[in-house]
Amino acid sequence: MSKKLLMTVKTLSASLLLASAAMIINPAVAADKPSTKGDVGRGAKAWVENCVRCHNVRDPKELRDDQWITTTYHMRMRAGLTGQQTRDIIAFLQMSN
Amino acid sequence: MKFKLTTLACLVGMSLAGNALAATDTSAEVKKLRQEVNALNAKAKEWEEWKAPKTLVHLAGFASVGFTQPEKGTGSFSTGSFSPIFHYQFAEDVMMEAELEFEGSATGASVAGIDYMTIDYFMNDYAALVVGKFLSPIGQFRQNIHPSWINKMAAAPVGFGHDQAAPNADVGMMVRGGFTTDSGSHNYALYVANGPTLEPNTAGTEIEMIETPGLNQDVEGAKVVGGRYGLFFAEQQLDIGFSAAVGGTSVRLSTTNYESARSYQVVGFDMTWRVAGFDVRAEYVSQKVGDSSSSSITDGGTWTAMYAQIAYKFNPSNWEAVLRYGQYDTPDAASDVNQVAAGLNYVFASNVVAKFNYELNTNPNAGQTAENRMLAQLAYGF
Repeated sequence: MSKKLLMTVKTLSASLLLASAAMIINPAVAADKPSTKGDVGRGAKAWVENCVRCHNVRDPKELRDDQWITTTYHMRMRAGLTGQQTRDIIAFLQMSN
Repeated sequence: MKFKLTTLACLVGMSLAGNALAATDTSAEVKKLRQEVNALNAKAKEWEEWKAPKTLVHLAGFASVGFTQPEKGTGSFSTGSFSPIFHYQFAEDVMMEAELEFEGSATGASVAGIDYMTIDYFMNDYAALVVGKFLSPIGQFRQNIHPSWINKMAAAPVGFGHDQAAPNADVGMMVRGGFTTDSGSHNYALYVANGPTLEPNTAGTEIEMIETPGLNQDVEGAKVVGGRYGLFFAEQQLDIGFSAAVGGTSVRLSTTNYESARSYQVVGFDMTWRVAGFDVRAEYVSQKVGDSSSSSITDGGTWTAMYAQIAYKFNPSNWEAVLRYGQYDTPDAASDVNQVAAGLNYVFASNVVAKFNYELNTNPNAGQTAENRMLAQLAYGF
């Protein structure tokens, strides 16, 4: 019983550590580069560089503006994009379709 | 003379009346045009809402159908799989994403499962909190390359299938994201999850496989902590990643009975490089299970897999050639495979690919065999 309790405490500690690390470290990085609206030029560059890391490049005309939002946020998770890169790519895709 | 003056007066009068009528017509047309422009503006404003709605729903996914011909035996058509991905997103804050998997069994029955289902909270530009069942962030194939329209071969590399050397999924929580520096784009994933279980062979004398489907229960307090760090050099188009995880796992004696936990470790390395028109990928993963003197199966074991793949698309044609070498090494000599696979793909569109593969499979252990096979597949990403 005490072993299980110890494991539970370890798990909760690891979970809290994960959340804390993200909350504490990342805002410090974010402070240098405040959030801005998407930039079409930067988005075109990020789109070309990042999509082919895993798959063939999809035509911007394949989806509607709103569909590109969820698709790009999904890709943010898959490719480890920053929030700014995500907004830039969305701006480019919405302008191009 | 009088007649001429009267005629002239009539003509002038008619002309003035005509001008007055024309002026009335123009005014009406302008009014009508203004109304039409206003209506169009209102429509355009409505369409603008598509650019940034608060709540979004989107269906994506992939599917494949195919034909497999073993070297000795009868070839079979198969439905492959159908994997819809649902996205529900609220503003830029939260997204629920779920990938289902439907597969046809040999007897024609359908098998359904949840590949992943998470609720993601975007904490800031550099981190998202992911809770639920997620694809293992160890390596690249399982989490990013497995969809049939992305994988350049019809099958997964040896050792990267379900319950083989590469962990498949986890249930727990994860923080993942990315940030950029002058040296490149960094991405990371850190997670804590329920540990895997070990499936013994029928005789109960050896561990047959490590089950990593993403368990909804934690047995014997066997949690796993791990993650992946990746670095992407955009100019060189080079991606490299390192993964590791440690924790516990236990032998499953029955659906409700598990042995005490033993050690569990994972290490992985992956790279992708696009150079001179070639797409080069390589990945290595190893899962190690420790010995346990208190277990009915004292010996642990190591499951290791690696592959190296090179692909080239003959632009501007739609043809693409792929070559892959893979190794899968397990504690069970009968399961080991060395594979050389060659493929020719026809890329109808970026998301529609026909694949024709031939696999040369060998078992490096004395007295063991593995069968060659031909595969054809049509994959569609949507």
